Amino acid sequence: MSAILLVAIPLLVAFLSILVKKYAPYLLIIVGLFNLVMLFLLQDGGVIIGGFDQPLGINLLLNLYSRIALILINALIVVIACLNIKDYGKYGSILLLAMAGLNGLVLTVDLFNFFVFLEISGIAAYLITSSNKKPTNTFHYLALGAVGSSLFLFGVIILYAMYGTLNYGAMIEAIAANNNYAEVVLPFTLMFIGLGVEAKLLPFNSWVKGALGHSNTMSGPMIASVYAAALSFVLGRMIDNLFLFQGTLLTIVTVLLTVGILLGDFMAFSSTKTREILLFSSVAQASIVALLFVNGVVAWAVWLIIANALSKTVMFLVINKATKEVGCDETKSLQGLFTKNILVGLAFTLATLSVMGLPLLVGFMIKLNFLTALAGAGQIWLIVAILIASLVEGIYFVRLLVKLWYKGENEISVKYNLSFKVVFVVIALALLAFGSYTAPMNQIDNSVDAVTEVVNNG
Amino acid sequence: MASIEYLILILVGASFLAYLFTKLNTYLGSVFTILATMFVFASLAGYGFGMGLDTTVNYLPWFTFNQTYLGFYFVIIIAFVYLMVSFFHPYYLGQYKYKDSYNMLFLLSLAGIIGAFYTDNFLQLFFFFELIIWTTMFLIPQGKSREAAVSYFGFSVAGSVAMLIGIFLIFSSTGQLDITSGLAAISGTNAIIVFILFLIAGFAKLGAFPLHIWLPIAHGNAPHPFSPVLSGALVKLGAFIGILALVRIVPTANLLVDSINLPLGQWLVAILGSISIVFGTLMAIKEDDAKKLLAYSSMSHGGYILVAFSLMNSVAFAGGFYHILAHAIASAAAFMAIAAVARATGTTKMKELGGMIHKMPITYLAYLVAIISMAGIPPMGGFISKWLIFMAVINKGMIFVAIAIFFGSVGSFLYVFRPLAALFLGQEFREYKHVKEAPIMMLIPTFILMGLNVYTGVFPSFILNFINNILGELGYAALNVTSSSIINVFDGQGILNPALISLVFAVGVFIAFIIFILLKKSRSVSLMDTYTAANFVHDEHLLHYSVDFYAPLERLYEKHTNWMTKFYESLAKKVKEIGNLGKYLFMSKNIGTTMLWIITIIILLLWGVAL
Repeated sequence: MSAILLVAIPLLVAFLSILVKKYAPYLLIIVGLFNLVMLFLLQDGGVIIGGFDQPLGINLLLNLYSRIALILINALIVVIACLNIKDYGKYGSILLLAMAGLNGLVLTVDLFNFFVFLEISGIAAYLITSSNKKPTNTFHYLALGAVGSSLFLFGVIILYAMYGTLNYGAMIEAIAANNNYAEVVLPFTLMFIGLGVEAKLLPFNSWVKGALGHSNTMSGPMIASVYAAALSFVLGRMIDNLFLFQGTLLTIVTVLLTVGILLGDFMAFSSTKTREILLFSSVAQASIVALLFVNGVVAWAVWLIIANALSKTVMFLVINKATKEVGCDETKSLQGLFTKNILVGLAFTLATLSVMGLPLLVGFMIKLNFLTALAGAGQIWLIVAILIASLVEGIYFVRLLVKLWYKGENEISVKYNLSFKVVFVVIALALLAFGSYTAPMNQIDNSVDAVTEVVNNG
Repeated sequence: MASIEYLILILVGASFLAYLFTKLNTYLGSVFTILATMFVFASLAGYGFGMGLDTTVNYLPWFTFNQTYLGFYFVIIIAFVYLMVSFFHPYYLGQYKYKDSYNMLFLLSLAGIIGAFYTDNFLQLFFFFELIIWTTMFLIPQGKSREAAVSYFGFSVAGSVAMLIGIFLIFSSTGQLDITSGLAAISGTNAIIVFILFLIAGFAKLGAFPLHIWLPIAHGNAPHPFSPVLSGALVKLGAFIGILALVRIVPTANLLVDSINLPLGQWLVAILGSISIVFGTLMAIKEDDAKKLLAYSSMSHGGYILVAFSLMNSVAFAGGFYHILAHAIASAAAFMAIAAVARATGTTKMKELGGMIHKMPITYLAYLVAIISMAGIPPMGGFISKWLIFMAVINKGMIFVAIAIFFGSVGSFLYVFRPLAALFLGQEFREYKHVKEAPIMMLIPTFILMGLNVYTGVFPSFILNFINNILGELGYAALNVTSSSIINVFDGQGILNPALISLVFAVGVFIAFIIFILLKKSRSVSLMDTYTAANFVHDEHLLHYSVDFYAPLERLYEKHTNWMTKFYESLAKKVKEIGNLGKYLFMSKNIGTTMLWIITIIILLLWGVAL
């Protein structure tokens, strides 16, 4: 039993499932559940592949941080797969590929290996967005994704040329030993931009509008929740362990992310299409998460990723399902969506309130804690920016909620299956429960992902 | 022994029960809500006055509570307004779309209120403020307009965002999150910024100029039983934050406005408060909707509260505290009277109403008493508070503020009289022939509020003695009040004997009553029993108009009333434009654009490093 199975099995089954296409979604669910069981059984620690000891060989690292990320990713994929078995069953193999790619991305501590998984998960993502039936948007995503991963690879090559290693731990030590940050600014910038494309950071994310603006009940939550969460986790790991931004680079990254937060919410404010509102809000949230990692507020960034992934799953599922049945995602034409779907409406409302960071919901405690951490670090201006953005966010979300709860000119009727409702209720209850009982959240601290320590010791 | 924690937990539990009960039966759920609110009010009133509530925390680990006279004063007033309003629920909830959640959110917001005034920690204060905002925000769209909720939410959250930034500024510069020690520790430039931020929060919640736009929109469109809560209770949260800033932080203490010996910050707040008074009064004079009229009157009264708390002396503070109470009672009573009329007739537009006194005499009386208090006429509570504020302002020698205050008082005669004339007096409308007086359950709070309006005007000593406790807590001298309610301010420069005034008033009423008895009785005639233009009247034409009372006055300023609204509209538009610009710049369908940004950033960075 080793962590490699988390990657190897989905990858193997992905190829096998092509032979039995009909059963692909079921295989996916079985593999996903297997992975989840594995994640509870596996011990923390590194796995060395191919018999080469590090730093030469490729190795994977399972620690608390990657365990949290993997549980979230695999569980969400299983849930999304279950809900879409009927409509998007033939995407089973692709979701298996995505699972393998994302699991690898989170587990690996080898930079080139990381690139390989970035490509695998990228390909799966392009294929997932092809279910939107908007080929130009998928192509746009593919082109930018290719640019992103090339930039990342370019950065990795430069680092390899400089330090002769691809292993995280060895690299971090070599950089620390060299102690000249100016040298690594270029590779780090390239890598940051490369990951930024996938992690939806402004201004590298123009694909988001096309890919999520026309998403469906499968691609919406997959891209907005699963991919966003996974990429935020790995970006966070890079920032927290490797990049450790300094000087001009720190300034530029901070400015970019702050602008991303503000503009993300402003863009959502100016949107009238429901899916666009959700996706621009995700852009802002992704920037907040990255900003927290930059400022070393790792623990709360982790919780924010999880809370966002769960809330956005509910929100995208609700809206995309409704859009499909109504045939339009203008907020005007979705008016009164919840008049007949009270339960769905409640779950959506709670998810939204959590994203907005209102009390009794988990989003509030997370927001308050990371803001307190930022205040403790003296980052008042970042707090001001985040809060102004959250004010704008609050206004557009309330506007949306009020519209969805009260009917407009036309009566619309959207039916949600029981399976959808179960997922909504479970997630909404979780958001509510952790909003009032926060003790478990204090159990992880900012050193949750100290890669060097683990790599060096074991 | 009542514990604050238990009260909050009970309310949270009760809110879910209320949801279930209301789902079963609206009446049942509403009666349950009344009982829950009554229980909480009784516990607060029973133990709170002597600071006898238990502040220990067993089940809410994150929270800490502390009792202060200041917090209790607010909490008891607000819980009282909640209790009074809850009596209206059984008769209104049936018409609302999401009636099951109404009682739930109502009780949850009361839980938030109790927490907000008893907590001693800034972050918890923010928690409870946000809780109150979102729970109440969902109540508003059940009324007439959905946009009203957005406007209310936007301004309220703008206020709490300002407050939170202030809180974090205190935290990062002093390391304190405790309210008392945090406010005491902050100094220098940071103190000025926190002062401004807290005042923004206070102004936004109080609905004071220039953050007043939401007030008429929310009050006017909220469900009828919720408008009294908004005006009587929730805007007082703003007063609380304002007091924290104005009394606890005095950042410009050595930057005095010499002639009146007042710190610059306080002086500016007094000016803004005066603008609120004048603006609210002018807008109320012009308004046709009775609820919106009262909303503008709330704005103007918010101005009085701000002026009072910016004067830095006990008399003004006492006046301010008394005004918070008097306005809460009066405006709740007035809004509830309008709500009763709206329930019977379905409208709050003055144009469409008339002659309700024939059908709803008790509601009429309640409104009459309330507006007498609002206008600051003895023997009602509003007179005492306004008198104290007048005395303090004149004593300070603030001519323009005094003019504004007098203008507000005279102006309120003008506007509060209009709904009285339009709704209750004049010719009875044919379509309202079937209308009956409000049911007995709604009359209970009406009578209680009426009684309190008079009580606060005749015997202020009990309340003023309690206010003296608050003044002591804030570090100010107590007001000189004798047991027979004689108030003596500024060493005998002003002496008020409300009981005597009331006695004179009562004698006057008695004489009028005797004259009424002795004179020939008037004969009650039907509407048709008259003639006009030498003809008998065969049809009930509307012969009585009570619109455009003050048209010549309104013409003076009607073109200049909406520039603040325009300002906020254009602000929203600007945000939207920036958003669209962002989409244009960064979300283009052209991949080259994104490439351009990537390259630009790399170049910028390398350039920065090279330098």
